[in-house]
Amino acid sequence: MTNHLPIIAIQVLFLGAFISGLVGYKSNSLRKFVIFLATGTSLVLTLMLFKPVMMEGQIISYWMGNWVPVSDWAIGIGLEVDQLSLFFGLIVTVTVFLGAIYSFKYMSKDNGQDKYYVVFMMLAGSVLGFVFTGDLFNMYVMIEIMTFAAVGLTAFRNHKAESIEAAFKYLVVGSIGSSLILLGTVVMYAQFKTLNLAQITALLNNAQHTPVILFAFALMIGGYAVKAFIVPCHVVAPDAYAAAPSSVSMLFSGIVNKAGIYGMIRLVFVVFASMNLPSMQFLLVFLGTITMFIGVTMALAQSDFKRLLAFHSISQIGYVLTAIGLSTILGLTGGLYHALNHTLFKGLLFLCAGAVLYSTGTTDLNKLGGLAKKMPQTAGLFLVGAFAISGIPPFNGFVSKWLVYQGTFAKSMETNNPGYVFVTIVALIVSVMTLASFIKVTQSVFFGQLPKEFENAEEVPLSMRIPMWILAALCLVAGILPTAVIDYLIKPAVLAIKSAGNYVAVMMGQEYATKIYTEGIAIPKYDYAMAGWNPTSWLILFGVLLIAFALVALTGGFNPRHIVGAENNNAKFDVFFSGEAAEHSHVAGNDLFWGLKHNLKGYFHFMHDVHNGVVNDYALMVVSTTALVMLYLFLLVK
Amino acid sequence: MNNILQFLFYILIFPGFAFCVVAGLLIAGIDRKLVARMQKRIGPPILQPTYDFLKLLGKETIIPRHAARKVYLAAPVVGLLSLVTVSLFIPIFNFSIFDKPVADLIVIIYLLTIPGVALIIGGSASGSPYAGVGISREMVAILSYELPLVIVLLTIGRKVGMALDGNITFSLKAIVDYQAQYGPMIAQWSMIPAAIALLLVIPCKVGSLPFDIAEAEIEICEGPLVEYSGPPLGIFKLNHAIKMFIMTSLFVTLFLSGAGTNFVALNVLIQFALAVVVTFISISVLKAITARLRVEQTFKFYWTYPTALALLSLVLVWLGL
Repeated sequence: MTNHLPIIAIQVLFLGAFISGLVGYKSNSLRKFVIFLATGTSLVLTLMLFKPVMMEGQIISYWMGNWVPVSDWAIGIGLEVDQLSLFFGLIVTVTVFLGAIYSFKYMSKDNGQDKYYVVFMMLAGSVLGFVFTGDLFNMYVMIEIMTFAAVGLTAFRNHKAESIEAAFKYLVVGSIGSSLILLGTVVMYAQFKTLNLAQITALLNNAQHTPVILFAFALMIGGYAVKAFIVPCHVVAPDAYAAAPSSVSMLFSGIVNKAGIYGMIRLVFVVFASMNLPSMQFLLVFLGTITMFIGVTMALAQSDFKRLLAFHSISQIGYVLTAIGLSTILGLTGGLYHALNHTLFKGLLFLCAGAVLYSTGTTDLNKLGGLAKKMPQTAGLFLVGAFAISGIPPFNGFVSKWLVYQGTFAKSMETNNPGYVFVTIVALIVSVMTLASFIKVTQSVFFGQLPKEFENAEEVPLSMRIPMWILAALCLVAGILPTAVIDYLIKPAVLAIKSAGNYVAVMMGQEYATKIYTEGIAIPKYDYAMAGWNPTSWLILFGVLLIAFALVALTGGFNPRHIVGAENNNAKFDVFFSGEAAEHSHVAGNDLFWGLKHNLKGYFHFMHDVHNGVVNDYALMVVSTTALVMLYLFLLVK
Repeated sequence: MNNILQFLFYILIFPGFAFCVVAGLLIAGIDRKLVARMQKRIGPPILQPTYDFLKLLGKETIIPRHAARKVYLAAPVVGLLSLVTVSLFIPIFNFSIFDKPVADLIVIIYLLTIPGVALIIGGSASGSPYAGVGISREMVAILSYELPLVIVLLTIGRKVGMALDGNITFSLKAIVDYQAQYGPMIAQWSMIPAAIALLLVIPCKVGSLPFDIAEAEIEICEGPLVEYSGPPLGIFKLNHAIKMFIMTSLFVTLFLSGAGTNFVALNVLIQFALAVVVTFISISVLKAITARLRVEQTFKFYWTYPTALALLSLVLVWLGL
């Protein structure tokens, strides 16, 4: 029974797409019911896999049409759900479920909803299929469906010019990425006569790493870099994130770029495990570091809510990639933890941005302001997300960033390479810049003066707030109980990354595996220590303090009798404008990063020129990145 | 039960809340006196900050019409909380309230940014445009000093870690133990640039001249604090004072610590006296002889000189010196 769960979970999503298309035009609520049922079922089915896979350590394999390997050759398409796949699978189904619930109300003002849900479900199903599959070509097929669904959703609000433009850019660059993956797949097939990941892993284990294989490897890394929006292949992402409806932006940052990350992990650590490349680590860490830095500095310069979030998304993926590139146990733990956290807090933030758009009709930071009075819950939830992404305790971003810092520093100790300390420093600075950037958003959206045109803004409906509350709660839980999260989710996934041999054994049979791995299958050890850090103890501390001060404040510390509400017309409750009436007084200097931009104007001008919006240039950037990766592999791999 | 009482004592009396308040207000008073004497003024009595604080507690709290009420009131308390939490983590010679190494430098880095963030959030919740200018400056200040601060702390971690097990340590207890064994950190010549860098970071962290760009009274009416009044303002002023003590005390623990004596009270006195000396060097003297810098000058300054000094130390330590 358990074997059938993954395929059903994928099929349910695709079925949901088609059925909602078939019945949806009749009734709105019927369509919603179908979507709810499909995403919910898929979530439940994936959760049912949790016990056997994560806790009992099984790896579930399923051969489509029962085409099991014949005389050691895998011909059929196989699904293989190991702990890594399930880790990402859970991220996907949770995000999709919450995104769907949010969409019900959020999209109610748009027309063409029947099309929206079909494409939405296609996107969901394809990413789930992508992480569950055990077949190289199937990975390509799924990522291709994902790309086109994403392009379609980007262009969904096609009455706006930006949506069309963003979709066009995404289409071009995304297709180049897909073509690179396809070409890599073809070359691999030509080399190994099989497309099954496990079998390729096994064959690579004893094969020479010929230039042809390296060529294919580089192509696929380049392709997945495009899918994960890694600098310098990130240029289409901000447009797409900003133009798409927020429920879709949430999927983009929650699952679409995670798919790229998953593809890279699967290739580098499992399929090409035999390469055991220290040099590959350098490439990934390097790309990750520039990704996080460029992402965050670009975010500082943005004035649109969703574009800003998009650049932060890029920056956070940089953290994930850096940590994974370390390829130590600590690094992988930090990377996967951050991938999970990024889905949670960035989903929350995009939903908050959507809520603001829903209530006010704009995401322009210069026009918004003072919404905390009108939308107190959204403001509070946004603060949770902002603190989480900035890595402020007790939220989840703190834990995973902590692991990243510690991982990079420990790596530099192991290898005695000061370069990794530099990475630690960049990571810490990026974290501070993230905080600064989110303070800017908080200040310009939720606090400050409320513009006249938003006097009637209202809190969003309950069905939109529920997903936001759930995500915020998960942010808190993942921050308070890091040991539980690591034990039940991250640790099995990290072990799965490290045990390629086991993967082969399950898929191709024990006999075959013993033939390939003549020295026996290595069982990885999970040994790391979160050095000298005990989150619970100081969390209790913070809690006790909070209670103590709450008592002080309640028993008259704040002189409650003297706190006067601003109901009357007394001028002392007005904001100070040097004695002028507010409308005659203009205080300049609202550009929060003027000092920073002024000092780094060379850098910002350069960045401005790079992000020029010309698709030809973007395509060139992707191709040349791939060429550089290729060059790098050819030069450094013996 | 006993444990809980002891815990409460740590948090509320020593080295937590009460101790912080007393030490902070004293340091702030001493600083004002020192600056005044250097400028040939008589200066206020040492207890003046205490009087100011008590007076503010009795005043009316005015919440502006456009303010986000809860955030506006909560911000100063959150800042105070995080400062008191930091104080629990800083060992005073051999006295530390945690037996096992619990605290880490990175927790301290994080907790120390929270007061700044609280100031920013509180200011922006007040809805004043002057606060808007102030918080933008505060943010640039945070970005400026954070880089050298992080490098200094990593350098110390590396230095101590090398002596322990060739690895890295982020544990303050290990740093103090190291100094108890090998003498104060400042005696190692390779650490002197880092010490100078940290001394330069302190004034910006506590927001004193010439780096008090965020609260520039004359230009932008105290920026984030412009709308604050009564107890919330008092708590912000208290935060400012406690921050002075915490930062100088952290410097003492990182660079001037040692074996100490067997008496906790005496150790605390020594720590406080050293903190006063550090306050004099890094805060009072600079305050007395300089004028306020501009925003972009501050940024440029921190990303060049203190960063270069800190990096120099890091490289020296890496080379095993």
